Amino acid sequence: MSSLSRIGAVVAKEFIHLVRDRRTLAVVLAMPVLQMLLFAYAISFDVKNVSTVIIDTDHTPASQAYVRSYQSSDFFTVVGTAGDLSAVDRVFDHNQARIAVVVPSGFGRTLADGGQATVAVYLDGSEPTAARVGQAFSTALNQVYGQRVTIEWADTQGLDVTGFGQLEPRVRTWYNPEKRSSDFLIPGLMVVIIMVVALQQTAVSLVREREQGTDEQLAISPMRRWEMMVGKVTPWTLLAFLDLAVITVVGIVFFHLPLRGSTLVLALGAALFVFCSLGLGLVISAVAPSLESANMLGLLLSMLPAFILSGFAFPLASIPVALQVVSCLFPARFMVTIARGVFLKGAGFGELWPELAALGGYAVIALGIAVVLYGRRRR
Amino acid sequence: MSLHRIRLLMWKEFLQLRRDPLLIRLLFLMPILQLILFGYVVAADVKNLPTAVVDLDRTSTSRALDASFGASDYFVVTQRPAETELQRLMDTGQISIAIVIPEGTQAALDRGETAPIGVIVDGSDSQVASVGSGYASQIIARFNADRMAAQGVSVAAPGIDARVRVMFNPTLASVNTMIPGLVAAIVMISIMAVMGQAVVKERERGTLEQMFVTPIKPVEYLIGKVTPYAIAAVVQLLVVALVGIFWFGVPFAGQISVVVVGLVLFMLTSIGLGLLISLVSHTRQQAQQLMMLLLLPSFVLSGFIFPIDSMPAAIQPLSWFIPLTWAIQILRGAFIKGSGFEALSTQFWVLALFAVVIFGAAIVATRRRLTE
Amino acid sequence: MSGTRRQRPDGLASTPPNPDAALSVRGLTKRFGSFTAVDGIDFDVPRGQIFGFLGPNGSGKTTTIRMLTGTSGADAGQALVLGEDVLRHPERIKMRFGYMSQKFSLFEDLTVDENLRFYAGVYDLTADEFARQREYVLDMADLRGRENELTANLSVGWRQRLALGTATIHEPELLFLDEPTGGVDPVARRQFWDLLYDLASRGVTLFVTTHYMDEASNCNQLAFIYRGRLIAGGAPHDIRRELITEQVVEVSVGDVNRALQWLERAPGVEEAYLSGARVHAVLQADAAGADPAGTVTAALRAAGFGDAAVVVVEPTLEDVFVNLVAREQGR
Repeated sequence: MSSLSRIGAVVAKEFIHLVRDRRTLAVVLAMPVLQMLLFAYAISFDVKNVSTVIIDTDHTPASQAYVRSYQSSDFFTVVGTAGDLSAVDRVFDHNQARIAVVVPSGFGRTLADGGQATVAVYLDGSEPTAARVGQAFSTALNQVYGQRVTIEWADTQGLDVTGFGQLEPRVRTWYNPEKRSSDFLIPGLMVVIIMVVALQQTAVSLVREREQGTDEQLAISPMRRWEMMVGKVTPWTLLAFLDLAVITVVGIVFFHLPLRGSTLVLALGAALFVFCSLGLGLVISAVAPSLESANMLGLLLSMLPAFILSGFAFPLASIPVALQVVSCLFPARFMVTIARGVFLKGAGFGELWPELAALGGYAVIALGIAVVLYGRRRR
Repeated sequence: MSLHRIRLLMWKEFLQLRRDPLLIRLLFLMPILQLILFGYVVAADVKNLPTAVVDLDRTSTSRALDASFGASDYFVVTQRPAETELQRLMDTGQISIAIVIPEGTQAALDRGETAPIGVIVDGSDSQVASVGSGYASQIIARFNADRMAAQGVSVAAPGIDARVRVMFNPTLASVNTMIPGLVAAIVMISIMAVMGQAVVKERERGTLEQMFVTPIKPVEYLIGKVTPYAIAAVVQLLVVALVGIFWFGVPFAGQISVVVVGLVLFMLTSIGLGLLISLVSHTRQQAQQLMMLLLLPSFVLSGFIFPIDSMPAAIQPLSWFIPLTWAIQILRGAFIKGSGFEALSTQFWVLALFAVVIFGAAIVATRRRLTE
Repeated sequence: MSGTRRQRPDGLASTPPNPDAALSVRGLTKRFGSFTAVDGIDFDVPRGQIFGFLGPNGSGKTTTIRMLTGTSGADAGQALVLGEDVLRHPERIKMRFGYMSQKFSLFEDLTVDENLRFYAGVYDLTADEFARQREYVLDMADLRGRENELTANLSVGWRQRLALGTATIHEPELLFLDEPTGGVDPVARRQFWDLLYDLASRGVTLFVTTHYMDEASNCNQLAFIYRGRLIAGGAPHDIRRELITEQVVEVSVGDVNRALQWLERAPGVEEAYLSGARVHAVLQADAAGADPAGTVTAALRAAGFGDAAVVVVEPTLEDVFVNLVAREQGR
C-alpha cells in the first residue's frame, strides 16, 4: 500500500502549492463560473430581430398593408425606410441592415388588376446563418401573404377555392421545444471552459518541477513516475469537478437548463473527462522543453480545439471523416455528447456507454504516454 | 531617444528569436496546421442531415414529397421507419430530422384544405433545429408552388411573387465568412501567446533589471522588442491568410489594401495586448492566466462563432471592446462585400484607437512596473 | 561601550549630502506597504574606496542598491550619486556607473561576444573603444577562445567574471556589486576580489554588498545594515576594535550544543554563539578578570565539560556583527 501513501504525499503537496497560490486558485475556481455566467447569457444561435430596411416606392394602401406584415413580425425588425433602390447597396455596405425589402411602384395596381406583384427581398449573405433563416422566413411570409391575397380575391369573386390546398409544415422540436439554442450551447460551454482551464494548469506542472530542480530530488526517491503523475492530477481533478458541479447548478438555476437524464452518468463522465484533460496536459508538460513553451502549447492546444473540434458550436457530422477522427483526439468531443445527451435527451448509461468507454480509455492512454515521455525526457 | 540603441535592441531580439527552437514552429507551422484543420470544421455547412420519412399516406402526392426530400442536398433519407421507432432513432442520434406525412394528406389537398406535414427536428442540436426546419419548410413551399403551377391555378389570381435574393455570398457558404475570421483568430492567439511571455521571461531571468540600469530608455526598449515580433507576425499573417484563401478557395471581391491594413492594425493590437500582459505579470504563470482571461471572451463575444445580433442587447456593447470583433467585421466586409475604406471607416478608426491606447498603456506600464 | 548605537561618523544625519563623494546618502527610506525595508540610513562613500555594505538576507541591501542605481524610487531622504540627485534624475548618471546583480543577468541565449557587443553599443562605445575593451574583458575573464559560446554554457565562475567585464565595459567611475560572489568557490572568490582590487587601483569606487564576513575585511569602509537600519560603520579594524570592548573567548569542546546552552545561561557571559565548530562567548566587562580563559575553563570543567579548552581571541568581524545583531534583537 505504499503506492497509495506516496500518491497521497504528492496530492498533499500539490494541494499546498495550490492553496498558497491564491491567484491560481481564484482563476481555477472563480473564473469558470464567472465566464459561464457571462457567456451563457450572451451566446445564442437564435436568429431573431433581424434588422430590415423597407424601400416602398409604391406608397399605396396595398403596399403599406404589405409593409405592415413585416413590422408586425417577430422575426423582422424594421430599422428604417428608404426612398429608392440605390439605398440597398449603401445599407448593406455600411451594415445598417441585413435584409432589404423593395416594393416596386405599381405594386398596388398590379394586385388590383389581378396580377402577380413582384417584390424583391435582398439578404446580406455575409452572415450566412441569419441569411439562411431570413430566406426561409421571407419565403414563408410572402407565401402566407400571397395566399391571403389570393383567397380574399377569390372570396370577392365568389370563386371556388378547390385546388388551393396547400401543405403546411408543422414543426416540432424535440428535446428543446422552445428551440432555445442556449440549452444546446450551455452543456457544451461547460465542457469548453473546464477543458481550457484544466489543460493549462497541468501543462505547466511537470515543467515547473523540472525548472526548479525538484524533479531530481523526486527522481532519487522511491516515488514511481506514474505515482507522481496520478498524484499531480488528482487535486486538479477534484477542483475541476467542483467547478463542473457549480457550473451545472448555475446552469440549472439561472438558465433553466433541464436535466432529464442520468445524473450519475453525467458525474461519471465529468470525472473521466477532467482526468483526460489533465492527462493531456501532462503529456504536453512532459514534452515541452521549457516553461514558456509549455504555456504556449497549453494555450494553443486548448483554446481553438475546445471551441472548434468538440462539437460545441460547429456540427461535427458535416465535416470530412478524416477530421472527425482527429476530433476524437480531444476528450471534449465525447464529453459534449454526454452532456447534451444527459441534459437534453434524457440519456442514460444505455445510450452513452460508448462515450464513457472512450473517455476511460483516453485517460489511461494519456497517462501512460505522459509517463513514458517523461521518463525518456529525464534521461 | 537613440536610434542606435533601438537598432541594437532589435538586433539582440532577432538573435534570440532565431535561436528559439520552438518559436518558428509555433509561429508558422502550428497556425497553418490549425487553419487547415479547423477551417474544414468552421466552413462546414449543414448538409446531409440523416432524415427519416414516415409516409402514412402512401399516395402519389406523398411519394412525390418523399422524393423531393431525398433529392435535396440538405437531407439524406436514411430510414423509412414506423412512427413508433422515431423516438429511439432520434434519442440515439441516428436521425436528426423526421418527416411525418399523415394519412389522408392527398385527400385533404384535393378538397382544397390545408394538410399538415409533421417536421420533427432534433432540438439538442441548435443548428440542425433552425436550419433544418428552414430547409424543410422551403422544400414544402416549393412543392406547393410546383403543385399549384401544375394545376394551372394562379394564372388569373393575384398573388405575391417574391424574388428572394442573397447578395454577396449567394451560396451562403460558411467558408467564405468563417475562414477570414479563423485566420484572424489563429493569428491573434499565436501572437499573444508569444508576446505574453516575451517580457516576463526577461523579468524572471533578471536581464530586464540589468538593461534598465543602463542608459536604455523604456520607449527604446519597447520599440526594440516589438518590432522584430511585429515583422514576424506580418509574415505569419500573410502566409496564413494566403494559405486560407487558396486552400479553401475563398472568393475575394474586395481591395487587398483594405485587408492588409485591417489585419496589420489588428495584429498590432494583439501584439500590444500580449506585451501589456507580459509587462504587468510577475511570473509566467500569471501571464498565462491573464491571457486566458482575455482570450476566452474574445472567442465567444466577438461574433466569430456566435452572431452578435443574437446576443442580448445588454451584452452587445461588450463586443465593442474586443479588437477581434472589429477585425472580423473588416475581414468579412472586404472579402464578401468588397467593402472599401469608406464603408468600413468606423471599424478602422476603432482598431487604430485600440492600438494607440494599448501601446500607450504599455509605455506607462514599462515606466512604472518594470523596475519592481 | 555597551548599549549605544554607533553610526559613522556621528551626526552625519544633520549634515547635507556631499556632492564630492561618490555616494552620499541622507535619511534614505523605502517602504513597501506597512513594511519599512530601509529606514532612514545615512552614509558617505568617498571616491576611490571599496565600500562594503553588509547585512543578512532581507535587511535592505538590495533595496538600497536599487534606489542608488535609480531603479526604484525612495519614500524619503536624499541620495547623491557622483554628485547627481539619483532619486530625481536617475538618467543623468547612467553612463557613469556600472552594476552587477546577484543573479546572472546577461543573455543566456546570446554568446559571450554578442553580450559584449550589445552592452558596448548600449553605452555608445566607439569601434576602437569596443575593440580595446573586448580584449581586456576576454583576458580578464579568461574567456579567450570561448567568444562564440552561449553564456548559458558557462559555469558560475566564468559567468561572474564575464558579468563583471560587461558591467565595466564602459569604464565607469563607480561600480555597484550586489552579492557578486554568491555560489562561487573560495578560490574563484579570491580571484574575483583580485579583479576588484585592480579596478579600485584605477580609481573606480566600488560599492559591494555581501553577507560573507571574510570579504568584508577586503573593504576600506564598511556599513552594517540590519532590518533597514545601519547599526555600525567604519573601517574594518576600527569596528573590530571599538565595538567590542568586552573579551571574547573561544571554547573548543566535545558536546558543543550543551556547552552553548550552558554558556548562554552562565553568569558573567553576555552572549554565546556558535562560530564554526566552536563556541564564542562574550564576557561581561567586569566578569573577565585577569585570566578570562582560565576562569571560563574552570567553570566549564566544574559544570561537567571535562574536555573544554578555552583561549582568548581577537574579535572577528563576524563576532562583531553577531553581537550587534543580538543587541538589536534584544531591543
